[in-house]
Order: sequence, then C-alpha cells, then structure tokens
Amino acid sequence: MWMGLTLLAVEAVEEGGGLFDLNATLPLMAIQFLILMAVLNAILYKPLGNAIDERDAYVRNAKAGAAERLAKAEKMAEEYEQSLADTRREARSVIENAQAEAQQIAAEKQAAAQQEAAAQREAVQKELDEQKASALGQLEQQVDSLSDQILGKLLGSAV
Amino acid sequence: MLNTFHFLNSSLLAKLEVGEHYYWKIGGLSLHGQIFITSWVVCALLIGVAFLASRKVERIPSGLQNLMEYALDFIRDLAKDQIGEKEYRPWVPFVGTLFLFIFVSNWAGALVPWKLFEIPHGELVAPTNDINTTVALALLTSLAYFYAGFKKRGLGYFARYIEPTPILLPINILEDFTKPLSLSFRLFGNILADELAVGVLVLLVPLFVPLPLMLLGLFTSAIQALIFATLAAAYIGEAMEGH
Repeated sequence: MWMGLTLLAVEAVEEGGGLFDLNATLPLMAIQFLILMAVLNAILYKPLGNAIDERDAYVRNAKAGAAERLAKAEKMAEEYEQSLADTRREARSVIENAQAEAQQIAAEKQAAAQQEAAAQREAVQKELDEQKASALGQLEQQVDSLSDQILGKLLGSAV
Repeated sequence: MLNTFHFLNSSLLAKLEVGEHYYWKIGGLSLHGQIFITSWVVCALLIGVAFLASRKVERIPSGLQNLMEYALDFIRDLAKDQIGEKEYRPWVPFVGTLFLFIFVSNWAGALVPWKLFEIPHGELVAPTNDINTTVALALLTSLAYFYAGFKKRGLGYFARYIEPTPILLPINILEDFTKPLSLSFRLFGNILADELAVGVLVLLVPLFVPLPLMLLGLFTSAIQALIFATLAAAYIGEAMEGH
C-alpha cells in the first residue's frame, strides 16, 4: 500500500500551503489514530493490563495466605510453648518424686545394712566372749594342773 | 519508500520552512504527505515496542515489558484520577493512545534529524506539528466524551446543559466548541512554536546555543502530551459523572 501511495505521491502537485491548511489529512489521521488505538489495545493494553491485574491478584492472594499462615504459626507456637511449659512442670515433678523415692530407698537400705552389721557384730562378739570364756576355763585348768605339778616338784619329797 | 529521500547536502541544513506541505493527491483529496510519513514512523515505533514488550509476558517483568508496564501504570493512574475507579477501564486505550502517540510524535519531532531526509516539497516534521493532526485528535476527544456521556446517562446527558441553571445554557453549549479548539491549538501552537524557535536559533547559531532550548522543547513536548491526555480523560470523566 505504501508503494502505491508513493507512486501517487510522485504526481503531487503544488498548491497553496499555509499553517492552517485543513484538508483530508484530518479525517484520515483520525482513522489512522483509531486503527493505532485498536492495534495497541490488542498488543499492549490488554496483555500487559492483564499481566498487571494478575500480578496484583497473585500478590494479594499471597499476602492473604501469608497472613493466614503467620497467624496459624503464631497459634501453633503458643500451643507448643504451653505444652513445653506443661512438660517442664511434669518433668520437674517426676524428678522430685524420683529423688524422694531414691532417698527413701537409700535410707531404708542404709538402716537395714546398719542393723545387719550390728547383728553380725553382736554375734561375733558373743562368739568371741564364748571362746574367751572357754579359753580362760582351759587356762585355769592348766594353771591348776601346773601349780599342782610345781607344788609336787617343790614339795615332792615333803609330800 | 526510502528511494524518494535523498541525503541532503549539509550546507542546506539551515533552512526554515513554515506552512509548506508535501501534497499527495488521492482521488480528489489532497493530503499532507510529510505528516503521514512521520506518523507512520511513530506508529511503527509504538507498535514495534508494544509488540516486543508483550511478546512474552512474564509475572516478573524485565526489560521492555517493565518499561511498558510502567507506562501503562502511568496511563491507568491518569485515567483513574480523572474518570474514576469504576469507569476508567474502557477508556484506558483511548487516553493511553492519545498520550503515547502525542508523546512519541513530539519527541520524534525534536530528536529525529528529519532534515536529513529530503522530500520533494516542504520538510518532515512531527505529526503534531500539523493542525490537521491536532484537530483530528481533539475532535476524537469530543466524540469520545459525547459517546461516554450518552452511553452512561442516555438522553439525560442533555440535562447538563441547563445545570446548574438554564441561564448558563449558551456557555455550556459554547464549551463543546471551545474544548476541542483549545485542545488542538494548545498542542499545535506549542509544538510549532518550539520547532520554530529551535529552527530560528539553529539558523542564527548552528552549534551548541540551541541545545538548552531543545532540552526545554523536550520538556514542553512531554508536558503537552500529558496535558492533552489528562484533559481528554477529564472531559470524559466530567461527561459521565454529571453535575
């Protein structure tokens, strides 16, 4: 089309110009502008406008989702904190119980051991006393016989 | 098409032409060829960038997609501010194309060394440097806000002509004429004046001196695009909301 216009243009004729020379350029320019508007609408305003709107929607959704997740996370953190505190308290009571129990057991065992030790000591003492007594008895007998013998030897002739 | 252009001798660069047009005759109609050529370049640039930006749309944008999303966000905010959160969406293409087309046209007129390409008569200029283009855009804006008003409020749209009092009827009717008039002449005047001022300075001092004025021109060009798009959106919003 441009070539055709150019060929026509070659036969252009001179005519009175002037700054305010209104002619068929006006309507053709208006039509050309409308065509440009339609073309730009198809390849610029629509696709990029959609892109902008979609991005806005995406950002809005992402923001809403993020806020929701944040609230949920905060709630969960609170719950965890709560359960952590509960667990700590529980653990502390378990430890205290165990310590008390252990102390009790230790005390019992100690007492039993002491009792046993005392009993054993007593038995040993008793045995020792018995042996001492028998040994003393034996010794006394031997002393008696020895003293008899000594007496006999000393006074042997005399007796 | 490029075979109709010739590279110009640099000694001829400093030349000023105002109100000269490169006429094309199609049927019985005469057209300003230079405006169409540059507007096709502008359209091709816009479509090319838009195509590259939206070829592979990703959730995490990068490169051109990022740039064009930034532009689209800007346009959406502009339309949202003027038309309202509920109604602005269908008007984004119109307001956005107004802004992009005018902005790229203005900057193309200021940045592209069009004078390097010779055409048989006149010279290549920004599309917005021609009253036909600006009037076309302004009339489309008028149609747009009439359409918006009728679509939203039906025949109740006419009620706004006698609001707040019927005494203001003539002024309200007059407004429908002054709106496109002021829109088109503001844009046309600013761009033409900027180009002329730069042209005259270049004619007098070809080096460095016109640079600050060119930078100022870039600034006003961008502002004009913003003003046109904002006013168009404001008119549309006003037509829909009623008084």
